[in-house]
Amino acid sequence: MSAPAAPSALHVALVLWRRSLNEVLRVRGALLPATVAPVVFLLGMTGQFGRLTGLEGFPTDSYMSWIVPLSCLQGAGFAGAATGSNLARDIEQGWFDRLLVAPVARPVLLVGPILGGVSRSLVPATVVLLVGLALGAELPGGILGLIALYVACAGFCTVAALWGVFMALMFRTQQAGPLMQQGVFLAVFLSTAYTPEVLLRGWLASVAHLNPVTYVLELARQATVSGIQPSFAHTWPGLVALVGMFVVLGALALLGLRRMGR
Amino acid sequence: MIGEAAGREGRVVVALGRRALSVQFRRAQLLMPTFVLPLMLLAVIASGTSVAQDLRGFPDVASYLAFIVPGTVIQGALLAGLTSGTALAADVEFGFFDRLLAAPVRRTSLVLGRQAGTLGLSLLQSIFFLAVAFAFGARYPGGVVAVLATIVLAAITAVGIGGIAGAIALRTGSLSLLQSIFPFVFVLLFTAPAFFPRELLAPALRDAAVYNPLTYVVEAVRGLLAGDATLGDPWAGLAAAVLLAVATTVLATFALSERLRTL
Amino acid sequence: MSDFDSRVPAVEVRGLVRDFKGGIRAVDGLDLEVAPGEIYGFLGPNGAGKTTSVRILTTLLRPTEGVARVAGHDVVHEADAVRRSIGVALQEAAIDPLMTGRELLRMQGALHGLRGPAAKDRANELLERVGLTQAADRRVGGYSGGMRRRLDLALALVHRPQVLFLDEPTTGLDPTSRGALWREVRTLNDEGTTVFLTTQYLEEAEQLADRVGIIAAGRLVAEGTPDALKARVGEPTLHVELAEPDSAERARAALAGLGSLEPANAAAPARVVLRTAAGKGAIAPAIRALDEHGVMVESIEVETPTLDDVFAAVTGSHLEGAEARGAEPEAAGAPG
Repeated sequence: MSAPAAPSALHVALVLWRRSLNEVLRVRGALLPATVAPVVFLLGMTGQFGRLTGLEGFPTDSYMSWIVPLSCLQGAGFAGAATGSNLARDIEQGWFDRLLVAPVARPVLLVGPILGGVSRSLVPATVVLLVGLALGAELPGGILGLIALYVACAGFCTVAALWGVFMALMFRTQQAGPLMQQGVFLAVFLSTAYTPEVLLRGWLASVAHLNPVTYVLELARQATVSGIQPSFAHTWPGLVALVGMFVVLGALALLGLRRMGR
Repeated sequence: MIGEAAGREGRVVVALGRRALSVQFRRAQLLMPTFVLPLMLLAVIASGTSVAQDLRGFPDVASYLAFIVPGTVIQGALLAGLTSGTALAADVEFGFFDRLLAAPVRRTSLVLGRQAGTLGLSLLQSIFFLAVAFAFGARYPGGVVAVLATIVLAAITAVGIGGIAGAIALRTGSLSLLQSIFPFVFVLLFTAPAFFPRELLAPALRDAAVYNPLTYVVEAVRGLLAGDATLGDPWAGLAAAVLLAVATTVLATFALSERLRTL
Repeated sequence: MSDFDSRVPAVEVRGLVRDFKGGIRAVDGLDLEVAPGEIYGFLGPNGAGKTTSVRILTTLLRPTEGVARVAGHDVVHEADAVRRSIGVALQEAAIDPLMTGRELLRMQGALHGLRGPAAKDRANELLERVGLTQAADRRVGGYSGGMRRRLDLALALVHRPQVLFLDEPTTGLDPTSRGALWREVRTLNDEGTTVFLTTQYLEEAEQLADRVGIIAAGRLVAEGTPDALKARVGEPTLHVELAEPDSAERARAALAGLGSLEPANAAAPARVVLRTAAGKGAIAPAIRALDEHGVMVESIEVETPTLDDVFAAVTGSHLEGAEARGAEPEAAGAPG
């Protein structure tokens, strides 16, 4: 009886993706905290800083419209970070060893869980969008804008997941969880989160200018901010930023994989 | 005779408080939410929204950072209280609390001991936040007295929040429940003029803020640090904090007696 | 069973060293060889380096120095080929509690290239083999410890590996489950699978292993079949309790030809101790001989050295979890 054929990378990725969805399909209320947090921030920030739109330089009169894409990205980013903490748990509890002794190229083992994170991120992103729309956010970008928003969220989730995975592979313990979340938090908020770039003062102006997530935010804001019309000019910087972050963090994640066992 | 008993109970309270505090510091990762998170939010908000000073209706302030810092201090108090409640829930769920109950310790001392720990944590937090903000350019015209008063107010508030969290912990004994309450910390924070003046809040929040005791504490701290009582009345803040602390400590003690009765 | 060359050792280790941060040397120059079709027992106390060695052999850890080959492939440079040929059931039986047994088997199949109906059939086959058909569609979170180990074994067998690594497979199991697992391991071995088993239980090594390697402080300190190892330490002894102390002389005369007699002990005049290589096999001849000389016997017991005695002889200390010194006596009833 000869040995079975070599495993198909695609099939393995799909199987592990399906497994990662169990976290939310088979655990009651698993998505609740991940969804509630960005909604709370959406409402809180709009309520606190809403008047800022009165200042000249704001491309919209509706602060809710300004903040919705931010909260969507926040939710998507934390879903990505959760992928990292799930991997850290799997490593700590020995489950990942089971995958490591299989004749599968190690990078393939990460594809499924990352896809799972992206799938999960659709929920908070959509809930935030719906809540925002119900409370008066505008949708001037139409279908194109919505596509841009979801592309930004999916892309950012993937990048955040790679960051989480890198942390998980470096520290191999769930205690690295907060590091993953704080990285996402800083990435999202050290940007044009609250005000457009023209209204930023001090050190944040430079930091936001250099932060790739600022451009991802702009990509996403084509959906709801009337002053940011869907166009290639508002799109390509965000895509380049996503690809750039993907490459850098992907390389780090692969390095982390190589370190396993040394 | 009474003095002796009081002295003994006092030592118990201190010992329990010290333990509660040391659990916090034993693992660095527990420090992150309570010490680092509020500072990250402070940095982000203070820098991201500083242009708000240009808004009509925004009060005249020397230092925007000093305007925002009260929100951070109160956030710290909220987190200190919630963390204590979570630690208590963990004790209850994993049986340590039962061991305490079996010891010859007065029931009220148990509650007060926990609160003492919360107090200690809050003191350290407030000093840390105010110092870091100062290092980054915040100035407190209200002077040392104002800073001390702020620290006291924050501590009392932390005890108040700790009381609610503790009451929930004692009633439910569920660690995961308390951990999931975390986002509501931010609900309480955002329905107070934590980072923006009350007049400029959205109407719905402005109305809600009237009923939130934290509103008065935040404004009191703001007024104290700026040396400007038009920003907030320190006595209103003190009253709100004390009322909250007393009410919730009573609540927690009731929850404890309920638990003992059903044991 | 995939075809293998019976001249190539199933496991081959030369000068294996593994250091960890902090100057810890978990494996300190290990040399061993396992022939295909053997059951090799790796016996040693906690911390001796068993798990580290297994993790190196199963490609989870890289050696600091030395060479290891499994099924003819180098564990570092041909890791993929090694992974195709081995089945692994590790000590931390890490099983996803949210999945069912059947789903786990299908997933394992996917990891090894089994898909569709082939994967389904193989899952059913293995579920039946380890007796988990009833529980197959329940979440693993609800399985007992014994059930989890059985599933773990089934998972290790999905792709019909040449070499099976079992790291402390029966730790924490009740005696019934332990026996069932032993039977399964023997069956697998009869079918041709090489088994590399680590354990801290003497009985497990003695019962299952064709050869035993005793490891302490990262090195192999003794190796051989269980009997050969025990023979190094001493011969079995026959303890005869006489019905009448006066018959001691006759008893000694009767038994003289069967082995070497221990000197008489004044404190226990009714006891005669015979040292004989035959061990249990000497019981019947001893009873016959005593009977011929008209000696009445109260009881006869055989005491054999254990692997713990071997361990103590070589390292100077005892294995953790070993039974109290002195093997369990195999008593035979006194004749009529």
